[in-house]
Amino acid sequence: MLSAALTPLASRSFLITPNVGIMIWTIVVFAVSLFILRRAVFPQIGKALDDRAKTIEGEIDSAAHAREEAERLLGEYRERLKEAREQADEIVQRARQSADVHEKEAKERGRETVAEATKRAQREIEVATKRALDDLRREVADLTIMATEKVTRKTLDEADQRRLVEEALRELDFSGISSGAHDN
Amino acid sequence: MSAVAGAPPIAPGVGGAPPAEKPGMSTARKIGYAVLGAWIGGILLFVVLFGVTAHKDPDVANNIFSPVDEFKLDTWFKIGPISFNKGVLYLLITAGITLGVMLYISQRLKQRPGRLQVAVEWFYDFARRMSRENLDEGMERKYFPLIATIFVFILVTNLIGYIPLPVNSGETFKVFGAHIPSLQIYAADTNVAFPLILALSVFVLFTYEGVKHHGPIRYIKSLMPGGVSGPIVGLIFPIEILSNFLRLISLTVRLWANLLAGHLLIAFMGGELGVLVGLQLVSWFLLPFGIAIFMFEAVLIAGLQAFIFAILTAIYLGGAVESH
Repeated sequence: MLSAALTPLASRSFLITPNVGIMIWTIVVFAVSLFILRRAVFPQIGKALDDRAKTIEGEIDSAAHAREEAERLLGEYRERLKEAREQADEIVQRARQSADVHEKEAKERGRETVAEATKRAQREIEVATKRALDDLRREVADLTIMATEKVTRKTLDEADQRRLVEEALRELDFSGISSGAHDN
Repeated sequence: MSAVAGAPPIAPGVGGAPPAEKPGMSTARKIGYAVLGAWIGGILLFVVLFGVTAHKDPDVANNIFSPVDEFKLDTWFKIGPISFNKGVLYLLITAGITLGVMLYISQRLKQRPGRLQVAVEWFYDFARRMSRENLDEGMERKYFPLIATIFVFILVTNLIGYIPLPVNSGETFKVFGAHIPSLQIYAADTNVAFPLILALSVFVLFTYEGVKHHGPIRYIKSLMPGGVSGPIVGLIFPIEILSNFLRLISLTVRLWANLLAGHLLIAFMGGELGVLVGLQLVSWFLLPFGIAIFMFEAVLIAGLQAFIFAILTAIYLGGAVESH
């Protein structure tokens, strides 16, 4: 009875009995796979990975170098910018100072010009006034002589003319005209 | 019509209250409920249609049918002494996919890789790190290809083991008169021969390296852990010798048992348990668990077992030449 129960199990011992044929197939197929992978696959993949690693390393180095260069240039540019700003400030300062000086000079010159023009105008007025007064005196003298000759119906000699003119001029007051001209 | 029914709707958020969330479920939740409903409805349907009384198939009752029979290697044809079966087919598919993908990628390596190249490069880098961490430079250069091949070969073997293929020649179905093997998920390493020969190769290699590096006597002595002296050596030494040989068995059984148990579990949960107990309801009831185990096995176990085998190979090889 026991053997009858164990018969099915015994008949299924293939599960734990190594199949020699499969063992041979396995080792052959595995060995062929190993041979091909070792020869034609692993070296290529290894080389590709090494190359990529080298490329990446190179790119990292180059990026680090570029960054250093960029930082150096940035520093340089900042320095130059600072210098340029300082120079610009200095130029502006100098320009401002120069403008102040020029303004002061121009004002001074203007003031001098005005004063000079005023003096010149005064001189010209005085000359013109004097000339006008002389003309007026001469006119008065001529009129006086002419009036006297008509009244007396005789021609006055030179001494009478001079005496008459001086008397007439003494009686005329030119001070008002003279002072008015000065005021103008 | 009532006054309430004719009243305008109250705007959300009126009166300081925050606007209420849109009523209804998310799409994922809807799908979840629909699947759950279909599953429960299916259970009820099976109860109504087939009842809850077991009706075993005569083949099952007479012990003619067994789920493990799927893993039997029936010879399909022979060429001289070489016989072909589904184990051989899976080995050839494994080699074809492994070499095809790896050769395809290695011939088209680009500076800017595509997805497949990224995956292959990730695998290569992972295997390389695994080797470097456990082996010295000379050993690493020598054994990296072996470790990487073990990793990828077992990984591909495991992964294609979760694709249903018409390889179950024990159970066939007819299409236009032709007997087509029924679909099955099978992996070459569900046969103990596959992991055994690989483990045996690893065992021979690390023993060879150990003997080459230390000499035969010193190698055997190196199996002893450091700091053990005195009479306890007599006790520890046989254990260490035994554990050295047990590496061969543990390496074999870990891979084989995990894969075989995983495939059996998926088969049981995917319907075979229902066939064994003669109750269709059980098959339907266990189906979600079968899908969950399938996902777990395919996503985690396939990669994990390949990784464990490969890293243990690296550790054993590294340990063999290590000086205590």
